[in-house]
Amino acid sequence: MHRTLIDIHILQTVPPSNLNRDDTGSPKTATYGGVRRARVSSQAWKRATRVAFRDHLDSSELGVRTKRIVELLASEITTRAPELEERAGQLAAETFRAVGIEVKAPKKTGKDKTAAEEAGYLVFLSTRQIQNLADAAIQAAGADDVAKALKAAKVKDLADRDHSVDVALFGRMVADQSDMNVDAAAQVAHALSVHAVETEFDYFTAVDDRNTEDETGAGMIGTVEFNSSTLYRYATVDANRLLDNLGDLDATRRAVDAFVEAFVRSMPTGKQNTFANRTLPEAVVVQVRDRQPINLVGAFENPVRELEKGGRIKAAAEALRDEAREIASSYAEEPVAAWVTRVGADTAALDDLGTKVALPELVTELGALVAARLTEPS
Amino acid sequence: MSVVALRLAGPMQSWGVGSRFVRRTTETAPTKSGVIGLLAAALGIRRTDPLEDLLHLRLGVRIDQPGELMRDFQTAQRPRYDRAGTVTWQSLPLSARYYLADAVFLAVVEGDRSIVEGLDAALRGPEFPLYLGRRSCPPAGPLALGVSDVSLDEALVTWPWLASTRVQKQRRDRVVQLATVRDAGPGEVATESIRDTPVSFDPNRRQYAWRSIVRATVDVTNPHGTAEPLPEHDPMSLLGGEACS
Repeated sequence: MHRTLIDIHILQTVPPSNLNRDDTGSPKTATYGGVRRARVSSQAWKRATRVAFRDHLDSSELGVRTKRIVELLASEITTRAPELEERAGQLAAETFRAVGIEVKAPKKTGKDKTAAEEAGYLVFLSTRQIQNLADAAIQAAGADDVAKALKAAKVKDLADRDHSVDVALFGRMVADQSDMNVDAAAQVAHALSVHAVETEFDYFTAVDDRNTEDETGAGMIGTVEFNSSTLYRYATVDANRLLDNLGDLDATRRAVDAFVEAFVRSMPTGKQNTFANRTLPEAVVVQVRDRQPINLVGAFENPVRELEKGGRIKAAAEALRDEAREIASSYAEEPVAAWVTRVGADTAALDDLGTKVALPELVTELGALVAARLTEPS
Repeated sequence: MSVVALRLAGPMQSWGVGSRFVRRTTETAPTKSGVIGLLAAALGIRRTDPLEDLLHLRLGVRIDQPGELMRDFQTAQRPRYDRAGTVTWQSLPLSARYYLADAVFLAVVEGDRSIVEGLDAALRGPEFPLYLGRRSCPPAGPLALGVSDVSLDEALVTWPWLASTRVQKQRRDRVVQLATVRDAGPGEVATESIRDTPVSFDPNRRQYAWRSIVRATVDVTNPHGTAEPLPEHDPMSLLGGEACS
């Protein structure tokens, strides 16, 4: 099987905004190339991407992250075998003990003393895993020794395969059973502005609507910090690892589609109502590689300056193209395939890097290539 | 002995040694556990697999561009589902993660030629995705610089300066002094010990051993330098006698 690595490079301008802020309310920043840049952390954009999955994938392909796993499994058991309703809670708890996840009665938070047991931490389980565990529990319910029957049904394996798409992409930690951890197949870099950025302060006053005469001053004053930037965003998906995690070619293809769509279109929600900074990228470049993923952020180590004509997006597009070409020639790292989705004349330089297509076609063609490469013998 | 040289550069890197819980610090130079982990990932060694050959490699790091320390404040929330079906979001402990922004390092790994060549090939076609200490820190540009038949110490002196042109132009001297951190040789007096030699990456029983390191400096040519280096400043020389070292 070929190695298949999908690099996604995005140039995206956001107007005055504060997508991701630190503990003092300032937009996050980082120094790169000796100057301060606007930054949106990878964790912020990963969450936005994960939330956007709901628009692209069926809930059966997504996971639930909860401590209340006993309740979740018990209700699945009851749905499948209503006659077991009385025992469902106990069966569910037994099942998780057999898996190796400790479940305990929750700390009393109210009068409800019959609450189901909980895990001590958040467990990420896919819908398929819950269904498989429910089936195993129902099977074992008839046995004399339920615990033994569950062990024989290899419930631990059931909780460790058929991962949801989001677990396969972003990973999972299981504190009690670290061999059930899943290593993420996607990497997301912190987004950085391609140019130097200073944080600005918006001084505002708010007027008291019901106070027209007595006081002529403001009802309150304050400041909101913001900046506006052209961001370089980068993520890479290792399709081979994704296939390992999901164990199914169709699911892998759907996960790649969903990730590209969601990563391109999503936006963290920080101060969204204040700034309405919803934009779509000016340019998306997707490169499929067969050796190693390559982040092209080096293109912007020298901060981009605004040009007289075209502004910074034109300069950024040219810098990105030049870096991609330099790397291809100096290191003999030609991508296997590449597509460009872009808007406006200022991003025309990127046409040198791949076939220009609209995003839906990009996703379709990428999915077809990934599926073909994952099935071909190498 | 042969060495493989690596360029560890990117907008952000983070090389922790003893961090636990919500405060995740970074060292000022790549750690042995970080670099060996990266090589293991390139080779496709899983966390639970034995590290074997990698345990005997020697590591030297040169700080070509120190970068600056950066703190990232991170929040996380989890949903709590009530029986009524309403969802409330609970905040998890706030955490501070430290990174090195804008840094460039030369890392040199010394071992038998066959092993070192295998590492170089693996870095150019890694089995698992590679990152600079933290998953959100992918390297900028390719990592592997190639294999050469020199010793670790020679490689640290002879490799051209990897700092960006901007940094090289800022330092006007023809020769610049760069800090190095490397494994102490057998019998060598170590500068200090840090606990960053990986024994096992198995998440069930991670284990790190102490490593004796030597901190030193090397002189490297600055291709953009124009000024001759000044004679070393030694105020004690006015008093006569030998210079302190």
